[in-house]
Parts: sequence; structure tokens; C-alpha cells
Amino acid sequence: MHRLLLAIALPLTLAAQYNANLRSIWIEPGGKERLPAFDLFDNALGKLGVIQASGPVDPAGHPFFTPLGTNGRACVNCHQPGWGMSVSAESLQDRWRSTSGKDPVFAAFDGSNCPALPQDLEKSHSLLLHRGLFRIPLSWPPRNADGSPKPVEFSIEVVSDPTGCNLSPKYGLKSGQPTVSVYRRPRPAANLKYVVAGGQNIVLKTGMLADRDPDTGRPVSMNLMSDAREPSLMTQAMSAIMGHEEAREAPSRQQLDAIVAYESQIYAAQVEHIFAGPVVDPEGPFALGPVALRDRRPGVLGDNDYDPVFGQFKSWKSQDYYRRSIARGADIFMFRQFWLRDTTHINTIGLGNPMKRTCATCHNAQMTGQDLSAGWVDVGTTNYPTWTEPATWSESSELPVFKITCKPEADPHPYLGRVIYTTDPGRALISGRCVDVGSIVMQQFRGLASRAPYFANGSAKDLREVVDYYDRRFDMKLTEAEKYDLVNFLGVL
Amino acid sequence: MRAAFCVWLFAAAVAAAQDLSFVACPIVRDTKTVPCFLAEYQGETYFLGIQQDITAAFHPPQLKHEVLVEGRIKEGPRVCGGIPLAPLSISVVKEVNPACNTLLPAEPGIEAPPAPRGAGPSSHPLAEPAPPANETLTGRQEFTVRYAFNDDYVEFGSIAVVRRAAAYATKIGASAVKVTGYCATTLLSNGGRLVEKAGLAEKRAQDIATLLRGSGVAAVTADWNKDAEPGDGKTDASRRRVTIEVIP
Repeated sequence: MHRLLLAIALPLTLAAQYNANLRSIWIEPGGKERLPAFDLFDNALGKLGVIQASGPVDPAGHPFFTPLGTNGRACVNCHQPGWGMSVSAESLQDRWRSTSGKDPVFAAFDGSNCPALPQDLEKSHSLLLHRGLFRIPLSWPPRNADGSPKPVEFSIEVVSDPTGCNLSPKYGLKSGQPTVSVYRRPRPAANLKYVVAGGQNIVLKTGMLADRDPDTGRPVSMNLMSDAREPSLMTQAMSAIMGHEEAREAPSRQQLDAIVAYESQIYAAQVEHIFAGPVVDPEGPFALGPVALRDRRPGVLGDNDYDPVFGQFKSWKSQDYYRRSIARGADIFMFRQFWLRDTTHINTIGLGNPMKRTCATCHNAQMTGQDLSAGWVDVGTTNYPTWTEPATWSESSELPVFKITCKPEADPHPYLGRVIYTTDPGRALISGRCVDVGSIVMQQFRGLASRAPYFANGSAKDLREVVDYYDRRFDMKLTEAEKYDLVNFLGVL
Repeated sequence: MRAAFCVWLFAAAVAAAQDLSFVACPIVRDTKTVPCFLAEYQGETYFLGIQQDITAAFHPPQLKHEVLVEGRIKEGPRVCGGIPLAPLSISVVKEVNPACNTLLPAEPGIEAPPAPRGAGPSSHPLAEPAPPANETLTGRQEFTVRYAFNDDYVEFGSIAVVRRAAAYATKIGASAVKVTGYCATTLLSNGGRLVEKAGLAEKRAQDIATLLRGSGVAAVTADWNKDAEPGDGKTDASRRRVTIEVIP
């Protein structure tokens, strides 16, 4: 017991010292410093490696690094190489302090809790500063590509509106342009060949046609965004420029092509762990580090014991203390069985409820830990009673709460029935289906140490809280030692 | 003890070849390998199947939901403590029922039948789907997509049927592809009747037509029988269907 306490306490102390000397670089739009083909960035657990597979990148005039809208933002504001091509709450707090809140990342439109709030106050940006959450305003009801409203299986009411946006007469659900505001983390714009791989004509989880890339006409993976609302990197870039950058004119095709080309060649992953040392080991697991991400093939199923999701960690089981811990964590991820239950789009697709499986059943895509199938799943983070917060009504939450009521003719939510309370209806805001309420597309597991907090709602401030959530949600009965090993494993990805 | 055994034997003999249709809460029984799924009806326990992969023909029921069981008692020893049923169709009742929540621990002597895949990660690559028989098909062909009760979800196996139909229609340059949707009634063993919801036959037909068109098949028409077909307590599951008629 004393050894375990020492093993936990010593790293915490060392990590605190290490954090005081971090090298982090915030790239501002319009910057001119050339980005090298390979760069290293410090994070709380070691170093992140970032590869530009096409060679050094000159940001001057590059549309990824150039504001294309009206609020001074560029793509790079929310997709920083030093922060795993996302941003962390810590980095955003630094930016607030160093710019007195003037950085365009804090733009009123979505970098504040609501545009109607006084923008000079820190508390008006609390969701971004504390949880890394941007406001995602989605029109209600959802619309088809031709602008016609989609049929909707439920009604939506605002139960609690701490940001004031959903009840706002200008921005809210009953405004002239009915809008639902949810708050989500930006996904990492790296390792994307894995994220966009695997599109099938018919989506396994719904039995319905997959969305198609409007350029190629091919079915897409539907794994790009947390609600799968954009089919391709091209449409996502367009949507982000018109929304997050508040452009008045659409970007040119050439600009979009350049953004997609840049995003498609950047790979980011942890390369060094503060205690385990370099994680790229020719004799060790093949998946670690950004070079492996650059070189491996996407679309490979890793839910197996012969070619697993993040490779074999066997050789690390006889090495130093931390590598052994990481290897044990990898084994828990791949092999530790538990009852996986009440999870829409996993238990509902013919696998039974409950099923006795492992983490890798759902996080099955080799190299990223996403789902090879279109990956929206209601793991429970946003829906009552398994939501991440509030625990009770008396415990305040900064997130809005919505009441969803399914129409009598619609199929209910498979585990929550016809009335659902949620902080984010997720995919349902796009599909209009009750079965999708609370379903969020899985994220990739790479570069995690650089981009806390976690979950789409930024509720887990560190990897331990992620592990704790799953332990509670699925009654995994993880021991302290197992949690410690899992956190170490996730930290080297 | 012997008398009890004889009574059990007699009951089992009477039950042989008996068709059963009933609605019950499923029961999940853990074992040292994969869990078994069971259901109780009139004091007897029936074995429905085991946890498998999505590619399996049997898709287990769900706790928090009742299940409609339509099957025929199969002769032979009990499996996982229950009388096996074959053929068997199970349908998850859509409405949530929190009372359906029985998860039993593993017990010595109760074992699941051999499973192609255990509860951990797979130890062998997913079996390649059998080569489509389309290569040998000629002329007019009919493909059938089957459904769970009151459901329009096109399951994994049914997606394969749609793909086969689409591939065949494309290969022969079909002049017409006629999709027809049906819904049905289930005659329960207790004399009750369950009728699928109105509009389901149309929904099923339209969905399959959409999948075929989205798979590049032209000349698809959709029709449906809006009246639920009657139930006989024996073949009801087979009548919940969509037929795809591919005409050269």
C-alpha cells in the first residue's frame, strides 16, 4: 500500500515541477514563423510530437492560418499544433490572461457562453475557459441539404438555461431563427486519414444510407464531428469558416483545398512520457508516436488479440515501472471484461443488452480507438441520470438542460423511454430521431495529454476523471491500481 | 425424486415440437464464457441464445425491454438451464420496461454452448462473407428482408440481402425492381394477438426502396399491403418482411 501511495505521490510532485517549465506555442492567425516538418511540444505528461508529412509549412497567406471571416479567427485558433490540433482549457486561460480576453478565439459568436453577454467579462466565457467548450448553435428543426425541414420525432423544451442563450429572444429556441445552443470541445484536426476512413453505403447502426461526400458522391465515415453533421473535411471547413469565423463570403475552392490538404497531412501523438521516457520503441507497440500514424493503414479493425488497437505491449511488461504500468493499462483496455449495458447504438444493434465485452469492442479502430462504423453512441455523458452533471438539482451546472419528449408514433429512446433530460441531445439534433438523443460520435484517443479536458462536454478535467466516469457508468469495479494503469496507458497515446 | 423426474419427462415429451409465442422479460445468465439469454413462460425456462458477434444469425434480446419469443421447442438436452427453441425469432419490445432487469451470476454446472467468439477481443479475423450466390442467379429473382416485430430496423444480415439484391439488379440491368412491404400479426400461445403498428409496411417498403436507389439501382418502385397479415402462431415471424423482386 505504501509503495502504491509513493508511486502515485512521487509522480504528482515531479509533474508539478515539470509543468512549471512547459514549452507551449500558441500560433496566432497571420503568423509568419515556418512550421517544421517535425516539432515537439511539452504537455503535462511529457511531449507531443507533430509531423507535417508534406514537409515544413509556411503559414503566411495559408488559409488554415489566415482569417477568412470577420472576427479575426483562422482555423488555427481552435486547432493548435501544440495542443494536439485542438485546444486545452489551460491554453485558453493563458490566452485570456495574455490578451486580456481580446484573442479572437474568444469571439462573441461562439467563444462566449452567449453573444448577448457582456464580452469583456471573464465569466461570460466561462465554458470556454474552464471546459474548452465552444457554443454550437444549431438551427431547429434540422434541415435537409436542400433547406427543407427534416421530420422530427420529438419536441424540445429548455429546462435550465445558465448561459441565457437558449431562452434568448434573439438567439434561442423561440427566436426568429429557432436555434438550440449546445457546447462542445473542438476535435483534433490531426490523424484525419483514420477519421474519414471506412465509409459504407449503409450505416450498420441505423440500417440507413450513409451521408455522401458532395464532391465525390462516395459514402463517408460520418465520424468527423461529434454529431456527424458534416460529411467531409471540405464541407466542415466551409461550415467552420462561415460559422466560427463569421465570414460573409464563402471561401474559394482553392482555399478550401489548401485547408483540407494541410489537415490531411498532419499527425500528432505523444512521443515521450515524463516517467516512462520515449514511447516510440522499435521493440514495443507499433502504434505509438506520430510517425506510426503517418505510416500505418487506416480502416483496420483492432478488436482482436493478434493485431490490437494500439499494438502489442508485451515487451514492456518486463521493463521499468512505468512501462509495465502502461502495458497493464493496455491490457485492461483490450481484455478487461465488464457488462456493457444500456448504450444506444452498441447494445441496440444486435449485440444484446447487456453484453460482456471490453473497451476495445466499441473503441475498435486501430490507431485511433474510434469506432470503424459510424461511431455515434449514447454512452450516457449527456443524458440524465448518467450525465456527467449535475448530480442533483442543488448542484449547479453551467450546461443547459433540455427536456425531450418523443412523439407517440415514434420509437422511444431505447433505455430512457419517451421523456429524456439531456445537456446535449447530440446526433438527435441532426437526425431528428428519438433513438439518437444523447448520442455523440466517439473521439480519437491520440494526443490526449495535450488537450484536456475530455468528453465532448469537457466534463472530465483529466484522464483519471475519464476513467472514473466509465468505472461508475459500467460498474467496472476497477481497482485504484487498474485506474492508475489505464491513465498511464491513455497518457502515452 | 424419481416421480418428479417422470413428470418432467412427460411434460417435456408433450412439449416436443410445440410452437410457442409469448412475451416475457429476458433473463441474462452469466457463465464462465459468454452470457446466455433466457426467458420464462408458464413456469418453464427457455434458452434463446448466447452473446455472439453482430454477424451471427441470433441477435440477443435486451434487459430493460420485454421480448417477443416465437419459436418451436427443440428436442434434446437443456442448454444453459433452458429448453432450446429452433427455429426461433426474437423481437425486442420497443417500450422500456425497467422491471426486465434480471442478470444472474455464473453458477457451477451451467455452461454456455461453445461460442465462436468469447467475451474478449476476437482471436481470428471476421469470417469473410460467403461469396454471393448472385453469380449463379439468372432471370427473375426475389429477395426477402425480414424484420423483428413492430420494427423497421434493417439488421446486419438484412443489409447483406439488400446488397445482394442491388448487386444482382445492377448486374443484369434490371428493367424493374418491385419492392413490397408487409406487416403481420402474431398469434400468442395464450390466445392473444399482437398486430404490428399501422403504416409499418409502407415504412419498411420505402426504406428498402431508398436503400436500393442509394445503391445505384434504377427503376425501383415501392408498394405495400397496409393490412397486417393474420397470425397462425407458427409462421408469423416469416411474414414480417419486404420482398424485392428483380425483373430482367
